[in-house]
This record gives sequence, C-alpha cells and structure tokens, in this order.
Amino acid sequence: MSIPKSYLCAGLLVALPLLACAGESGSIDRRIAVEPGGEVIISNVSGSIDVRGWDRNEVQVTGHLGEDVERLDLTTSGGRTIVKVVLPRGSSNDGDAEISVQVPKNCSVEVSAVSADVSSQGVLGTQRLKSVSGEITADISGDDSEVRSVSGDLTVRGTGKPISLRANSVSGSLDLTNGAGKLDVVTVSGDARVQMGETSEVRGRTTSGDLELRAKLTRDGRVDVEGVSGEITLRLVAPGGLSTEIESFSGDIEGCLAGSVERVSKYGPGTRLNLRTVEGGGARVRAKTLSGDIDICDH
Amino acid sequence: MNLRRVKSIDELAQNVPPPRDLWPAISAAIEAEKAAQAPGAQRRPRWLPAAGMAAAIALVAVGVFIGRSLGPVKFIETAGTREAAANVLPAALRDANYRKERDVLLVEVQHKLNDMPAAERTKVAASLATLRRSIGEIEAALGSDPANALLQELLVNSCQEEMRALTAVRDSGNQET
Repeated sequence: MSIPKSYLCAGLLVALPLLACAGESGSIDRRIAVEPGGEVIISNVSGSIDVRGWDRNEVQVTGHLGEDVERLDLTTSGGRTIVKVVLPRGSSNDGDAEISVQVPKNCSVEVSAVSADVSSQGVLGTQRLKSVSGEITADISGDDSEVRSVSGDLTVRGTGKPISLRANSVSGSLDLTNGAGKLDVVTVSGDARVQMGETSEVRGRTTSGDLELRAKLTRDGRVDVEGVSGEITLRLVAPGGLSTEIESFSGDIEGCLAGSVERVSKYGPGTRLNLRTVEGGGARVRAKTLSGDIDICDH
Repeated sequence: MNLRRVKSIDELAQNVPPPRDLWPAISAAIEAEKAAQAPGAQRRPRWLPAAGMAAAIALVAVGVFIGRSLGPVKFIETAGTREAAANVLPAALRDANYRKERDVLLVEVQHKLNDMPAAERTKVAASLATLRRSIGEIEAALGSDPANALLQELLVNSCQEEMRALTAVRDSGNQET
C-alpha cells in the first residue's frame, strides 16, 4: 500500500510540533568539557540531585527526567557551567527529575532545589547548597561553604580541615560531624547537633530547638551561642583555658562548671556563670538563653 | 492571780477592753498607707513598665533597622562620620520603617506559604509562630524587668531572626540560574 506524499508531509507537519512539546523525559546521559576550577550551578525543583567530584575536567549528567519535565539545559561559558532542569512555563513544581552530576572535584558548586533532596560527595571547592523542603546530605571541605534549608534536614560531614561554614534552617534539623574552623549555625525550631575538631569560632542561635556543641577550642577560640527556649549543651575542650560569660533569664545553668553559678539578683530570676579556668586569657564562651537550660562542661 | 474554772460560755466576760488605746497607732498606719497610694508617691510608678516596653520596642526598631539597612556599612573614622551620625533617622521613623517592612514581608510570606504543600506549610508556619511566640515571651519578661540587658539583647536578636526567617521563606524556591 502506497501513501501519497502529500499525506506524509501533512503527517510530519503535525507530528514534529507534538514531538517538540513532548519534552525530554526519560533517561539522560549528557557530558560537556569545562574549564578546571570553575563553577557549576545546578538547579532542580523536585526529585533528587546527587553531586560527585571526579578527576576529569568534564561535567556529566545522568539520571531520569519525569514526564512533566520540559528539558535539561547543560551549558558552559567562561568557567561557569549550568545544569538546569527546566519545567514547562506555568508548571506547578510537579516535574520530578532524578539527576546525578559529576563535576571536577576542585570546582565550586551551587545547588538550588525546592523539594528535591540534595547529596554531595568528593567536591573540594566551595559549596552552596540550598533546598526548601528537601533534605541535604553533604561532605563539605571547601572554605566559605553554606548549607541552607527552610524545612529540610541538614546532614553535613566535614573533613576535619578548618573551613568557614554557614548552616541555616528554619524548621529542619542540623547534624554536623567532623567540622573544624569557623561555624555559623542558625535554626528556629530544628535541633542542631554539632561535633567539631579544632575550632576557632562558633556562632549559634536557636529559638526553640536544642543546640549541642562538642568542640576543641583553639587558644583564642570564640563561642557565642544564644537560645530562647531551646536548651544549649556545650562540651568544650580548651587546652588554653576557658573564660565564660553565661547567663539565663529563667533557665538553669548546669554541668561540671556549674559550681560557680550565681544568681543575677537577690529577688528576681536569672542565673549566670562568669569564670576563668586559667588566668589571663583562654578561649571565650558566651551563652545566653531566655528560658532554656544551659549545660556546660570543659571536658 | 484569780483562777476559776469556767463551766459555760456565758460565764466569760462579754467585753474585754485593751490595756491601752490602740486607735492612734491604727489611724497613723491608715494615713501612712493613704499617703503611699497618693499619685506620685509610689515607689514604682505605673507608667514604668509601659515606658520600658516603649523603650524596648524602640531598641528593637533601632537594632532591626541597623541590622537590615546599615549592617554591611563599614564605619571608617572620617570627618564625615559625625555628620552621618547626626543624619540618623528619628527613632519613630525607624520603628515605622521596621513595621512597614515586616508587614510587606508577612504578605509575601503568606503567598509563599499558600503555594507550599500542606505538610511543609504546617511545619514552616509552626516555626514562624514559634519565633513570634518567643518574641512575645521576651516582651512579657521585659514588661516586668524593662532594664534587663539580657532580655533587650534577646529581643533585638529575635526580631532580627524573625526578619531573616521571613526573608528566607519568601525567597525560597526562587530559581537563580
């Protein structure tokens, strides 16, 4: 049976736009050469993003794009590589994409997600990872790094190398292990558990979540933590001694240094602990709460 | 001493006069109490908590305004520094700016919350409510202890934290690439 050419042409004219609208769903495997030491910017609304550092000067994206995803953009220019899962205009954030991105291990990485979970391993450069409700699990070794979420939980592993790290969550929790250097941690209602090696500076704030910090402070180390109703637990090793300025309006001050706790006033509420374990210096610890308890020990 | 066994209540004396006139002392005590309650004679004026709260709110406004608007500015000791300090906005205007900024943020955050899935919206809204409740608790404590430096510091920091959290929620999910 022969089909008239005019029918074939008409059929192609109808089919091509439909194919274009159908998008780039299904498995993907794309690769692009990039400049060493550049920046890779990754965004995906929903699904997952898994970032891995490798020894090649290439970015490779593999994974699966859901039916509602329009396409995957992978471009590079001037040391800036963009990996972007594009949803159709007016989409209501339903397009799932599960992507794994291999990046040069010395590059810096910036990841933006909405509900997508984010994980990262083997990247040595600066990382800026943020998600609204997705969880973030990352190995961080680059200086000036940041992990941020609104309601997603944050799990961060350091390498023990001193870096500067900011971790911020509204209602998600933070679990940081093997950190070192400088840390700025903020949560509103999520709990924060922080375990650090050699630590020069920690700034922490929680509203109703609990904050637990275990760290070995340098001789001129600084810890400045504040809570409203959340409890603060400090286990601080300070070879150069410790100087504390701790006060709670209505919470208790406990722990192995609590023997020196005094009342702020004879009749009103409030306790404080101002002491020096070594004369003439040492690491400084400042902790304040409204009603949360403060538990401090220097070992 | 006359000791006699009493066999019924009726045998007790109906009227036992005090050994001395007690009225002058009672009258003096009443007069002293009246004098203490007279306007201007209280040890702690009633307006003091209100004034403390007003001062605390002004402090918050100053702290938040400085934190948001002037925070990154590095003050270098120059001839113009004093002049710049003299041009600082009046406290009332700063307070108005803070409230205005916060009101705008709240509207934007509400839009963002409406777009969130229900479970996430509940979680985030609860956190924002926690922040607001914490600020309320600090303000209440300041009402009874207006001069408490710890409470003032916590209030300023909590208000700044609320603005940061509101901004984070408002900006969440914006694609930057």
